[in-house]
Amino acid sequence: MQPTDQPRRSMIYRLLLENGAEFETCQDSAVAMRYPGNAAEAEQSQSMGIADLSPLPRIGFKGKDTPLWLKQQGVQLPETPNRARKQSDNCLLLRLSDDEHVLLGDLTLRSTLVATLHQSWHFQPGQMCYLVPRADTHSWFCLSGKHTSDMLAKVCGVDLRLHKFGNGEIAQTSIARINGIVVRNDLGQIPAFYLLADSASADYLWPCLMDAMDEFSGSPIGLATLQSLIARAA
Amino acid sequence: MAGANRLAEPHGLLIDRSRTIDFEFEGEAYQGFAGDTVASALAAHDAWLLSRSFKYHRPRGIFTMAGQDSNCMVTVNGDANVLGDVEKISPGLRVFGQNYKGSLRKDRRARIGRFSRFLPVGFYYKTFFKPKGAWEKRWAPIIRNIAGLGQIDTEAVPAYYDKQYKFCDLMIVGGGPAGLSAAKTAADAGAEVLLVDENEALGGALNYARFAVSSDAARDQRGEMVAALSAAQHVEVMTDAICNGWFSDNWLPVIKGRRLYKVRAREVVLCTGVLEQPAVFHNNDLPGVMLGSAAQRLIRLYAVRPGKRAVVLAGNNDGYAVALDLMDCGVEIAAVVELRDEPVYDDIAKAVRAKGVKVYEGHAVYRAISTSDKHHLKAVEIRQIVGQGQCGQSGERVSCDLLCMSVGYTPTYQLACQAGAKLGYEDNTAVFSISGLPESLHIAGSVNGMWDLQEVLRDGEQAARAALRRLGYEIKVPPKVVNSTVSPSFGWPIFSHPAGKEFVDYDEDLQLADIVNATREGYEDVQLVKRYSTVGMGPSQGRNSALATARLVAWATGRSVAQTGVSTARPPFAPERIAHNAGRSFYPERHTSMHHRHVEAGAQMLMAGAWWRPAYYGPSGERDRCMREESLNVRNNVGLVDVSTLGGLEVRGPDAGEFLNRMFTYAFTKQPVGRSRYVVMTNEHGVVIDDGVACRFHDEHYYVTATTGGVERVYQLMLRWKAQWRLEVDVTHVTAAWCGVNIAGPKSRQVLATLCEDVDLSAEAFPYMGVREGKVAGIPARLMRVGFVGELGYEVHVPQHYGERLWDAIMEAGAAEEIRPFGIETQRLLRLEKGHIIIGQDTDAMTHPAEVHLAWAIARKKPFFVGARSIAEIGKQPRKRKLAGFVVNDLDAPIPLESHLVLDGDKMTGRVTSCYFSPTVGKPIGLAFMTLEQAIPGSSVTIKSTGGVFVTAKVVELPFYDPENQRQDL
Repeated sequence: MQPTDQPRRSMIYRLLLENGAEFETCQDSAVAMRYPGNAAEAEQSQSMGIADLSPLPRIGFKGKDTPLWLKQQGVQLPETPNRARKQSDNCLLLRLSDDEHVLLGDLTLRSTLVATLHQSWHFQPGQMCYLVPRADTHSWFCLSGKHTSDMLAKVCGVDLRLHKFGNGEIAQTSIARINGIVVRNDLGQIPAFYLLADSASADYLWPCLMDAMDEFSGSPIGLATLQSLIARAA
Repeated sequence: MAGANRLAEPHGLLIDRSRTIDFEFEGEAYQGFAGDTVASALAAHDAWLLSRSFKYHRPRGIFTMAGQDSNCMVTVNGDANVLGDVEKISPGLRVFGQNYKGSLRKDRRARIGRFSRFLPVGFYYKTFFKPKGAWEKRWAPIIRNIAGLGQIDTEAVPAYYDKQYKFCDLMIVGGGPAGLSAAKTAADAGAEVLLVDENEALGGALNYARFAVSSDAARDQRGEMVAALSAAQHVEVMTDAICNGWFSDNWLPVIKGRRLYKVRAREVVLCTGVLEQPAVFHNNDLPGVMLGSAAQRLIRLYAVRPGKRAVVLAGNNDGYAVALDLMDCGVEIAAVVELRDEPVYDDIAKAVRAKGVKVYEGHAVYRAISTSDKHHLKAVEIRQIVGQGQCGQSGERVSCDLLCMSVGYTPTYQLACQAGAKLGYEDNTAVFSISGLPESLHIAGSVNGMWDLQEVLRDGEQAARAALRRLGYEIKVPPKVVNSTVSPSFGWPIFSHPAGKEFVDYDEDLQLADIVNATREGYEDVQLVKRYSTVGMGPSQGRNSALATARLVAWATGRSVAQTGVSTARPPFAPERIAHNAGRSFYPERHTSMHHRHVEAGAQMLMAGAWWRPAYYGPSGERDRCMREESLNVRNNVGLVDVSTLGGLEVRGPDAGEFLNRMFTYAFTKQPVGRSRYVVMTNEHGVVIDDGVACRFHDEHYYVTATTGGVERVYQLMLRWKAQWRLEVDVTHVTAAWCGVNIAGPKSRQVLATLCEDVDLSAEAFPYMGVREGKVAGIPARLMRVGFVGELGYEVHVPQHYGERLWDAIMEAGAAEEIRPFGIETQRLLRLEKGHIIIGQDTDAMTHPAEVHLAWAIARKKPFFVGARSIAEIGKQPRKRKLAGFVVNDLDAPIPLESHLVLDGDKMTGRVTSCYFSPTVGKPIGLAFMTLEQAIPGSSVTIKSTGGVFVTAKVVELPFYDPENQRQDL
């Protein structure tokens, strides 16, 4: 299938096509599932790979009543800001501040938590818990492999070395001079970082990251490769 | 052959004798060993002339052999100003000297040196300013032709340079004995250590200097220390890496290869060592005259014998170590010229004397004498010292081809001083001292005034322990080490000569008299001496001249060296390439989700802030035609423009209405749900700073748009005031979350209706300024009836990732109606016809609402909004200007452009802010600030247009088009 077969499209689907991506349907979008021309995709994910997860579900909530509302929906919250917490269905809740949270869907696409929360949320007078369209404010990339920290050091001023930036930690920072949210979320034994950044800058950021990872022979990888890592870890 | 001067092992730490490398110098073939520098490989072949000096084109050769001088600057493969004493040879390397006309050996411009007495410091300032105009026409072309360091290769292909952050607990700058000791101490404690050294091999002076009578002592010590560090955990070693500055909070740039590392260190220990200093005497720049440490580097690092018959000028015992090294490799020592009249000899010096070397105590080298071609040292004249800087009337001539100077040192204080350290000077020891360091910065070793090797090692450990304590390690910090040895610096190794050429600054060919004369011209402060004479401003940045300059300025002005000081040491420490700063620079760009559709449609794209936007669709040379066709299609048919770059802010909460009431000039608490309202934001001074619309979707929910360039400021102001007012409101920046189009024109409703099933688009159900939520082409959307371009129109906002699909759907739906996209240039024309202003284009930093027809947008009954008080006060003052519309009836006149002046006779009274040819009106129309008298409709004003042509414009009522608003209210 082609990404243009779906109404919702990653901002960088053209770049992914240029890299030979093969797409599969993901709700009303298309996600780069694999790169058939890259025989070493699996090894790449353990060395230095980048995947575009922008078509995957995610949602944000903001406002002082947000923690309470999320708890009422059965969501497990991290205890402190700038921490992420995995949910029972493998979704990942990011606590950006006391009253701002982002929920990232699971990479296996089995979870329905994002959709459930979306449906449960209604604008209610006096309740300061507001939906934030994080699926559109930010593109979502996954960087994986042992060289990821070194690569990120070329575009980010935060110390993201593995022994300094633990699994589940969040940095809200600048990536290649645009605002971004970096979340460490290892895939089993493989170091991995999620990168959420301005969706309108995705066309700019993706080549920046590709350039930075060139030194480590990095290349794009598909969601299927990440899913296999998760399966192996399980 | 790798050279007749090549020494046997164990000399040659850095060379690999198993690999020979062929290269060229000045077109001649040479061979060296892998690991050789250009200078060492040439020296091995007895080729000592490397380059020419900047001003007098004097022959220059090896001087520091450490990359600390400009004498070795050569052009390598077209790359100018490469330091030949550190640049490694590689196969096929093509090297040339610099600063000559003709050939390096026969430089036609070398004769300039003969006229040096007529070219004193300040000569240029005093000479070339007259007669008037002569500088630009006559002198500048000549001087610019001669001036410059090397030749730039304008055909060079840029190489790839980049940057990387690095982090550590403790960064140690300098991998000499102190640095090695500090690194080992810190690593053993478990700290993360980054050890940076500019040299290829760790060890510092242990690599080349002689610390004992035994020649093996330093090598053995180095071997043990490097091996111990290699075995340590938590240590990262960067060699061939130079730390080029210190910035706040221990931010240190380190350059290695083509990468600039931006290091963040919690603690820093500077073990930067010392820089050996030259003596100042006649012809002290001749090839063959070099620092003692340079000769030792040639011997130990590159296995090159630096000469055949040498004189050593000693102001300390290190000179004897040099002499001993020279003797060990077969160099005849003609004499040791001992500056001190009552020296205290150490074991090494005693060993030299025991070998029968003639030592001239209390003597100086008065002058160096060149060979007939002036390319090398032939002899020196030795004279007895009879006073500070004074020699006797006669002396002894000693033949030699090598003169090694060991007369003293300065600490490598640059990084410490950049961190705020103070430089002191002790007259009795004749060395600088460093104090006043920041708490997280430590110094150790010879830079800290330690000269004995064991004390240097202990000092390194002490500094590391002090840093570890600050890092939170429970560790004992021993007392500071106290230096117990005699200073190795001789107080006044400066001897004038009637013929001059006693060079203080080799980079700029500055002689002793130049420095003294600068003070006599009234430039007594060392900073002024620097700027007037350019001392210390060359590539070596005063590393070889600062001490001598300070001494001379102090002497000439009757002050102490401590009072005189040295000029400010600013980053970078060593020359760095612009490419290192430019490499991997990030210039963020933003694309709307419809961006590629614009490009595919042939749009000419322009940047608005970080956004790329379509200006118009069509060839770049046909702007006017494209705009005309696009605008007429909107007026008569239907057009589509991408408005995704407009700022979007969700304002939600019980106090959302009150919040907007305070943020904007209009009233919002009673704004009905389902309606939008124009918003104007003013700052505390009553100046218009942004506009947009506020769409009310719920009692507690407004969707506020802002200008493309202004939304970040609006958002920041909202957050600031929200915090101050403590209202129950949340503000979320959603610009990137929504994309949008404006479908405009009389057929816009017709086209949109085919895509929109759940919203009644009729004029009655969805009136002008109404807002609705529904679906367009199956995509969840926010719809707004707007009239920015003066036609029936709808803004459709959808989630960003659906933007391309929305664009395609509308273009397909409108194909039958011949819909076509229009760019923002056309949009600006259309809104101008309608008399709508653009904030930032039709306003400036002083514009208040009444000047730009926005008085209606101010709710005067509100108790407060930001800027209300100022607007009220401004309103009491007589107005001085107004934004008025004008038309140009003369179709042959050049169309005025933005910022063209509005005149009243000879007086400037305003400026044009917008002007286009309007296909609808049939003539150029525009907006301009002018006086109230000029702004009366029907009056004429003069505009100074392109080419200085005065154009008569007629002031008219706004808008230019559809004054009854019948088109947008359809």
